[in-house]
Amino acid sequence: MSAVVEVEDLHKSYGRVERLHGISFEVQAGEILGFLGVNGAGKTTTIEILEGYRPRDSGRILVLGLDPARAGREWRNRIGLVLQECELDPVYSVAETVTMFARYFEHPTDVAATIAAVGLSEKAGDRVGRLSGGQKRRLDVALGLVGNPEVLFLDEPTTGLDPVARREMWAMIEGLRDAGKTIFLTTHYMDEAQHLADRIIILRSGVIAAQGTAEELSTRLGYQTEVTFETFAGFEPERLALLLGAPLTTRDSLVRFRSDHVQDDLNRLLDWAQSEGVALVNLQAIQPTLDDVFVQLAGEEVPEAKESPS
Amino acid sequence: MNDVSLAFAQTRFNLRGFARDVSALTFTAIFPVILFLLFNAIFKGTTPYDGRNAPVATYYTASIVSYVIMLVSFGSLLSRVTTARERGLLKRFRGTPMPSWVYLVSEIGQTVTVVAATAALLVAVGALFYRVHLSGHVLVGLVVYLVLGVTCFSALALATTRICKTADAASAFGPLSATILAFLSGVFIPESIVPKWLLDIGQVFPLEHLARGLQSAFLVPGSNGLTATNLIVLAVWAVAGLVVAMRTFRWESLATGL
Repeated sequence: MSAVVEVEDLHKSYGRVERLHGISFEVQAGEILGFLGVNGAGKTTTIEILEGYRPRDSGRILVLGLDPARAGREWRNRIGLVLQECELDPVYSVAETVTMFARYFEHPTDVAATIAAVGLSEKAGDRVGRLSGGQKRRLDVALGLVGNPEVLFLDEPTTGLDPVARREMWAMIEGLRDAGKTIFLTTHYMDEAQHLADRIIILRSGVIAAQGTAEELSTRLGYQTEVTFETFAGFEPERLALLLGAPLTTRDSLVRFRSDHVQDDLNRLLDWAQSEGVALVNLQAIQPTLDDVFVQLAGEEVPEAKESPS
Repeated sequence: MNDVSLAFAQTRFNLRGFARDVSALTFTAIFPVILFLLFNAIFKGTTPYDGRNAPVATYYTASIVSYVIMLVSFGSLLSRVTTARERGLLKRFRGTPMPSWVYLVSEIGQTVTVVAATAALLVAVGALFYRVHLSGHVLVGLVVYLVLGVTCFSALALATTRICKTADAASAFGPLSATILAFLSGVFIPESIVPKWLLDIGQVFPLEHLARGLQSAFLVPGSNGLTATNLIVLAVWAVAGLVVAMRTFRWESLATGL
């Protein structure tokens, strides 16, 4: 494996507002890197600097071994782009649009094969204006792929799509992953990153809040299982809290606590219920989803960013 | 594919899109012909030109050709480029290996083709139905003014894309300025009828010189209309437009971009 994208201490300000506070990361050949953050976190700024659209203030960047700010036409032949917003001309057919784009590149792939790869073969003769939102977005991806790039930049490919169209886009990106493409993917959906990315970087207010595989993120960050049950008449939270060694909260008649050792804590809870002579209603142990991790990390509640150098 | 053939391919591609765009086709190619027919239905006979009487139909052939040159080279080009910019297409092109000049040349190529076809249609209608007389002099003047006019107004269109930040603004500004200038430049109404102070304003702008040049080529016997004043004014506007365009042109949307 070798690094296709290398970023070291990247800084970028707009006017007096610093947008990227020195981020560093790499994208390895053949992997999909999920670049995750809420709107305004700095995702698009980062991807547009990597694509050569925006200058940076400082930092070292190499994409395919070249500095995007100085790289020329040869380099553009080797990268593929899918921009966040691009409304293609509605009067051309899908096949015409891809064929024209193929001409811009030195070593394009087969047009029909590219259209097939994004699942638009049946729509090849249709005008772009007649495509659905999801189909248009997949056509954007076809235009990113037709130059046969060594790395593909996908900027929020599923934003604004309905759930079915999102799934279709995912299936398509999975196909690209299986074909060994290197992809830099920005998204503000954790489930998307979890589903598609080999590695995830969570960006928060211009700093990397966390990075790793989906599993690493959910375990390394120490998010605990939540146990809940319904409260009942005569329930004394203080005694149970003492027994479990964990604080209890009650909201909407649900009692909840967080546990590092679920089996032991559940045993204690059940023994206690037996001795109290109550049947616990609605007892649940809930594993936190990565979405919860993301909301906690990307939101403002987190007091300090956990910067983990790669 | 080398860059020159890429520019041709992109021009053909643009023209195919233009042919499918009914509103663009109507507005730039059919509307001027309708104008020409209407003016000829209203005004008949002769009009004073340069101290002698000239046939009205010939006057309107030259005039509407000059109007088409501005409408298409300035109005349509301005609207197309700002629309493509607003849609993110210019930015998208910029991210491909295609050189910027190839895109710009293809837009100019499309403009030249549409102007030439519409002008040919107007001249053909004039010659066939209104006894407009064509000679070598006329054709020399027509070709030179067509090339110079397209160059001048295309440069001005590209320069104006910075002022017209949205496609909406551009699609209003282009035809509006062409139509107002047409009244100030002796295009719709002969200069012998238009008050002098209006013509004085019109003379500052390139359309008056383009129209006057074409009218001289068509109306003055033995003249190709190529006078120094007309050519210099058009060239000065062309260079000014190019300089401004080169300094201010933006590939990213001005409506939503940073």
